[in-house]
Amino acid sequence: MVKSKRKPVEEIQNSIADFDKILTVGCGGCASVCLAGGQREVNALNAELGLLFKSEKKTKKLGSYTVERQCNMQFLVELDEKVKDYDCLVSMACGAGVQLMAERYPTLPVFPAVNTVSIGVDREIGMYEEKCRACGECVLAYTGGICPVTRCAKGVFNGPCGGTNRGKCEISQDIPCAWLDIFERLKGQNRLDDIMKLQAPMQWQNQVQRTTVQEPYARRYYK
Amino acid sequence: MFKKNTAGVDTARVKERLEEHKTKMKLSLKACAHCTLCAESCFLYMARDKDPKYTPSYKFINSIGLLYKTKGNVDKVTLGEIRDNVWERCALCTRCYCPLGIDIPEMIALARSICREQGVYPQYDRE
Repeated sequence: MVKSKRKPVEEIQNSIADFDKILTVGCGGCASVCLAGGQREVNALNAELGLLFKSEKKTKKLGSYTVERQCNMQFLVELDEKVKDYDCLVSMACGAGVQLMAERYPTLPVFPAVNTVSIGVDREIGMYEEKCRACGECVLAYTGGICPVTRCAKGVFNGPCGGTNRGKCEISQDIPCAWLDIFERLKGQNRLDDIMKLQAPMQWQNQVQRTTVQEPYARRYYK
Repeated sequence: MFKKNTAGVDTARVKERLEEHKTKMKLSLKACAHCTLCAESCFLYMARDKDPKYTPSYKFINSIGLLYKTKGNVDKVTLGEIRDNVWERCALCTRCYCPLGIDIPEMIALARSICREQGVYPQYDRE
């Protein structure tokens, strides 16, 4: 599923500073599952914003609501009447949800409250690991189900590169070489022929695999 | 007779929500012919050996239907059962098909919305 992480409250506060009536809209889909933008997170964000505005002696109307999925117009319809009472909307959905809501209400400013991070898997509660960059050119068939676009720092399609060192990537000794893992996986399946064929390269940047840990769980996973 | 313990549920608000959508929802509930043609359009029903509890009509009858039947006088336990029907047994993929044109996803979505408003929704870090 799509993994996202909430923005710092100060950033959200800055974006809505000029508005008095703010409706925070959660998403019951991926954003809920990854504990970033469901009903509970909507309530928590509004509580935080309320305290911040109160400390600045500002009176704002903070509303909250969660739709089933912000990436589906069918589920935005129920907001049509509600949004009339507000100056701006804060979306806790992924980038797709924010954009669809902005499209439905073009006269209302829509601000994102989360950063959309990746398409990933659930490793632990509140801990997610990126697995797919939605590149549109899936090569998992010949890489043994390991994505070189996501896992390899260079995103090379014909690896490993010269930077592989004792099973690790040259950019960090904490990052395993994706292509060594691909080699081992295919060897175990007697499918090494799959990576002997040359594949046309793709141009990618920022190919460091990301792990998203929600703030309340940071202490559990980071020492 | 036992009196239902509705503590922790704002039944007045539930009734208000039910009233807002009464015409369409009651018509949809009444229109359901129990033909079960919606069943095979549900991938969860098919993937779970055609367990009748995954039939879309079962899910809306035992969620929004139950809310209307009880006129919104529900307790937390009942809302919990509704939650199982509308979240655990439904992905809201909106692919369910009704030959009579009943908008099943809309019914499930309303049941979810009412549950959510009463603080009953999946806790993804606890379940």
